[in-house]
Amino acid sequence: MALFRFARGWDYSLRSQVMDAVKTLGKTLVASPDRQQEADSDISIVRRVQAGDVAAFDQLVLKYRERVYGVVYHLSSNREDAADLTQDAFIKAFQSINRFQGQSSFFTWLYRIAVNSTLTHLRKHRLRTFFSFDKIDEDDHVSAEVIAALTDTTGADRETFARELQEKLNEAMQKLSIKHRTVITLFEIDGLSHQEIAEVMECSVGTVRSRLHYAKQLLQSELQAYIRR
Amino acid sequence: MNQKKTTVTLEDLLRLKRAERPPAEFWDQFDRDLRLKQLAAIVEPRPWWAPLIKFGAQVSRYQLPVGAAAILALSFVTVREYRTANFAQPEFALPQSSAVSEPAPSMATAQREVAVATAARATYAVSTPAKPVVPESVTNVGERPHSAPLPSLTARLNSEPNSPSTRAMAANLAAVQASDPRLMDDVLGGTGRVTEAREPVSDPLAQISAPGESRRSRLLSSALSSASAVPVSVGTSARVARHLTEERLYDRVSRLDGDANRLVIKF
Repeated sequence: MALFRFARGWDYSLRSQVMDAVKTLGKTLVASPDRQQEADSDISIVRRVQAGDVAAFDQLVLKYRERVYGVVYHLSSNREDAADLTQDAFIKAFQSINRFQGQSSFFTWLYRIAVNSTLTHLRKHRLRTFFSFDKIDEDDHVSAEVIAALTDTTGADRETFARELQEKLNEAMQKLSIKHRTVITLFEIDGLSHQEIAEVMECSVGTVRSRLHYAKQLLQSELQAYIRR
Repeated sequence: MNQKKTTVTLEDLLRLKRAERPPAEFWDQFDRDLRLKQLAAIVEPRPWWAPLIKFGAQVSRYQLPVGAAAILALSFVTVREYRTANFAQPEFALPQSSAVSEPAPSMATAQREVAVATAARATYAVSTPAKPVVPESVTNVGERPHSAPLPSLTARLNSEPNSPSTRAMAANLAAVQASDPRLMDDVLGGTGRVTEAREPVSDPLAQISAPGESRRSRLLSSALSSASAVPVSVGTSARVARHLTEERLYDRVSRLDGDANRLVIKF
């Protein structure tokens, strides 16, 4: 009874915040049902490719090219390298698709290939870092809001400010180690769960959380000038 | 109602990064390049190690049994090789005993053979002008009776490499000794002459004079220079007389130096 009264006494906003937190926690721990559905449909396409229907692989390319490119691009901060590495990842996946046994979902497997080849590339060219950015999509309402909030307080020109902010963001990302950058990219930018990241990076969920925490701390200190509370 | 965003968090900034997207025409080019690479990958000849990778991937499913089988096979092969090596040794030693035509040589016989072989080696060394010094073992061998035990020599030969030529020489000499003992006596007599011709070995420590002795002679010589009445050994006085001629003495005396409380004479 007391519990019921306590529950009724909850502020609505607090309750909604808790629900959001629970949803977020659920997302970080297990793959969402949408992902599960996706994985099932991928498996059927993969079986077709394994049976000899090579053209079916194009469906997988169309489905995942943007996401794979996004991960590789945010890891390398170079659009040309990202394009090449994404293509290489798809080629590798195509060549070794017969070895895919369905123990993990196809997109986790594909991500693993892409992330591993990107990490190898980054380690090989550690001393050579060129930035080459894609433009920020102006139609994206979240980015527009953020830029508006920052430019209203500083009074700067939006386009110039957006370019500067993009550079600072990429610089801050490049200051992270490769592993920390991968975790933050997969979680914050690509929206993967902790479990999925752990599968992609072949480490434990605890390691993923620890890396994420450390990476956020570093980014927070690097981008302090742009954070408004 | 559209509220204006006032707070900017790190997550918002990272979401901004999510909005970095390539234009639509980028994907056309991307697809074309991917198609070309795909075709090239199909046409490209596979490297020779590609089947190995495939085999490795298949085998990796059965890591434990394959690993255990590999360890077993390796240990079996190793033990087998080890045993083969052990059996090979006596076979290698057989010609030595068969050349002497004795079924099972006793320790004394073996020692004798070894002594004869060493003597032969020493004889060869004496006759060769490049090596005039005879090893010490020659004299020992020449003086020892054949039946006497040679523990030090045996130990040395155990440590020395037993070459096939040495064994062959030993076998030949043993055969000669068995057929013609007089010839063998001549050979050993020659060795004895070599032993006589050789300088007696003296202890090197005995040749070194004690340091006190030289010091004593030096002190005596200095005392002689001041008081020649004291009888000293002939050698010392002669040396002093040779070193201190009159002229030199006068030269040296000129190198005098004096202070209030001391007098320095430099020689």
